[in-house]
Amino acid sequence: MAEPIVSIRDVCKTFGPVRAVDDVSFDVYPGEIFGLLGPNGAGKTTTIRMMLDIFRPDCGEVRLFGKPMTEAAKHRIGYMPEERGLYRDQQLEPTLHYLATLKGLSEAEASRRLQKWLKQLDLWDSRKKKIQDLSRGMQQKAQLIATLVHEPDLIVVDEPFANLDPVNTRMAIDMLSEQAQQGKAIIMSTHLMYQVEAMCHRIVLIDKGRVVLYGPVDQIKREFASNAVLIYGQADFGSLPGVLEARQENSHWRLSLAQGATPQGVFRALAQQDGARIERFELAEPSLDDIFINVVAGDGQAPEAANA
Amino acid sequence: MNTRNVLKVIKYEIVSMMRKPSFWFFTFGFPVMIMAFTLAPQLMVRDSITEASQTLMSATQGPSVPYVDLAGIVETIPDDMKAGFRQFPDEASAKAALDSGEIPHYFLIPADFRQTGTVVGVTEHPSPMTGINGSGPLDYVLRLNLAGGDPVLASPVAQMEERSLAPASGASVGTEGRPSGRDAGMGDFLLPFAVMFILFFIITMSAGFMLQSVTREKENRTAELLLTSLSPRELMLGKVIGLGAVALFQMGVWLGGGQLVLVGGAVAASALAGQGLSLSFFLWAIVFFIFGYVVYAAALGALGALAPNMREGSQFTFVLLIPLLIPLWLNNVFFNDPHGMFATVLSLFPLTAPTSMMTRLAVGGVAAWQPFAALAGLIITAYLFVLLAARFFRADTLLSGASISWGRIAGELKGR
Repeated sequence: MAEPIVSIRDVCKTFGPVRAVDDVSFDVYPGEIFGLLGPNGAGKTTTIRMMLDIFRPDCGEVRLFGKPMTEAAKHRIGYMPEERGLYRDQQLEPTLHYLATLKGLSEAEASRRLQKWLKQLDLWDSRKKKIQDLSRGMQQKAQLIATLVHEPDLIVVDEPFANLDPVNTRMAIDMLSEQAQQGKAIIMSTHLMYQVEAMCHRIVLIDKGRVVLYGPVDQIKREFASNAVLIYGQADFGSLPGVLEARQENSHWRLSLAQGATPQGVFRALAQQDGARIERFELAEPSLDDIFINVVAGDGQAPEAANA
Repeated sequence: MNTRNVLKVIKYEIVSMMRKPSFWFFTFGFPVMIMAFTLAPQLMVRDSITEASQTLMSATQGPSVPYVDLAGIVETIPDDMKAGFRQFPDEASAKAALDSGEIPHYFLIPADFRQTGTVVGVTEHPSPMTGINGSGPLDYVLRLNLAGGDPVLASPVAQMEERSLAPASGASVGTEGRPSGRDAGMGDFLLPFAVMFILFFIITMSAGFMLQSVTREKENRTAELLLTSLSPRELMLGKVIGLGAVALFQMGVWLGGGQLVLVGGAVAASALAGQGLSLSFFLWAIVFFIFGYVVYAAALGALGALAPNMREGSQFTFVLLIPLLIPLWLNNVFFNDPHGMFATVLSLFPLTAPTSMMTRLAVGGVAAWQPFAALAGLIITAYLFVLLAARFFRADTLLSGASISWGRIAGELKGR
């Protein structure tokens, strides 16, 4: 695997009596979309701010592009904070131009790139408008431009799809996926778990300032899976060897398996059953939503392997 | 410290401020408004004078400067003015001409004019607003003759103050001329007061820009985005310099405009006439403004870093500006005894020096070492205030939405 773009080791941060971040570690690699998840107040934003050198960690180490934060590294980062930040009483284009030049672009290059981005996101005709006169969706698109205009290698987006309609959400997803395909690392913080499932390769789940889950999405889902399978179709499921219970749920059957029984064994038995009609066979994995609630609500323990 | 970042912030602050129509309106509209309020009544009065004079001249067809010269002073009248002058040998003949309606008024130059400088104007139609038509030409002719016929020496404009000697009778208006020049009393009060007011106004306003700019970035949530590109101190420095440049420009417009008005004689009839300001005064004003601005911009910038929004920040602004207000409150001290102990202390104390010292310099007669001492103290204070403000200008304060309180300010000062 390539060198990580972001490497966070045992960082912690305390505000007064509150330990906001406690011993958090994770890595983010080029070309991946990484989910930074957690309930409100878990310490995600503080972690991001330490990563971006806005806050200094009380302990631990943050390395970006293989080194501690440098001035040059700042120009390789694009950040879209959860609380959107643009000068509301200023015109759109000069504001974006200012932010672009602060990221190291020359005046001319900033103008050239902005022209391209504003046209691409249908904001060209609104470039002279004050930001407060733009719709929330347009403001969100403007924020995306501010994040991407300097072609950063690390993109940190906090709730990137807030205020976007389905069409623009799709456009933003495509845009971020395209960036990842170009080898950029993307850290996405969101509460939309289905988006995480759809987009992220790996996640870290932080709760009360500590890492409670960390790893590839597929692996985590598998590790949280109960010993059960979901089957779409018709057969005599109750008579299958190793099946403790067969329960119909909406359009499918959930088969709970006995200890020692495997989905492969059940599948082989079904294949041999006369009259069985199977449309779909899958492991009964929990959704990320279920895992999130399970872990954060405290009634489920993160498996050891998933917390590695 | 990344200089490029600081320059970007400076440029942005200047450009964004200058893009606001309100800035231009305020920069030019405010002095124009002040001038309009000052000049309009005078212009109206002058128009009335001209109108009244024309009416009177056309009604009487008489000369506009009938006079009786008991002092024997008028020997020379320029050729181009001779037509307007008519001498009467004595007051009785002039009075007779007045009574007959031949002339609308006359001037009596008493025998002791050289000692008293007093000229008496007599008219049947007294008007405290317009005065007596012809007093200007007479004043010039008197000057010319006092100067031995030298038009260069006679050229400074004399103010002829017109006062009613017998207002009860309404039959005559006395005119007391002061060939020696202007009425110094009002001018001595107005100019220093104007300087004090302008300095106070521009320092508080420009330092207010700083508060506004910082709280705006907090309210708009722009601060977090900016802090991914630059440090809080680069942001603070860029703002202080950028907004300071804007304020300096504004001060230049106002003081320069004021100087033009004074020197240009647009308010020649006012008590400020003839009171131009020297170049060294302007240099002192700029230097005291710059460092005064830095002190108060740093203080209000620190306040902005702590305040979650402009509204909460404004509640504490007044307290921080009290030192600048003190000289305004105690302005009598500066006018009654500008070089007394109290005025001197205020002008040397760094927080009150910008307005106090400039006020005293406008009065004149300040010991040479005092402006330098005051400036040295002010520079040291400005440096300390910037260091102090930098303690407030941190990412956690800039990103905090916590309410501001005296306890919180004290805590920050103690580094908690």
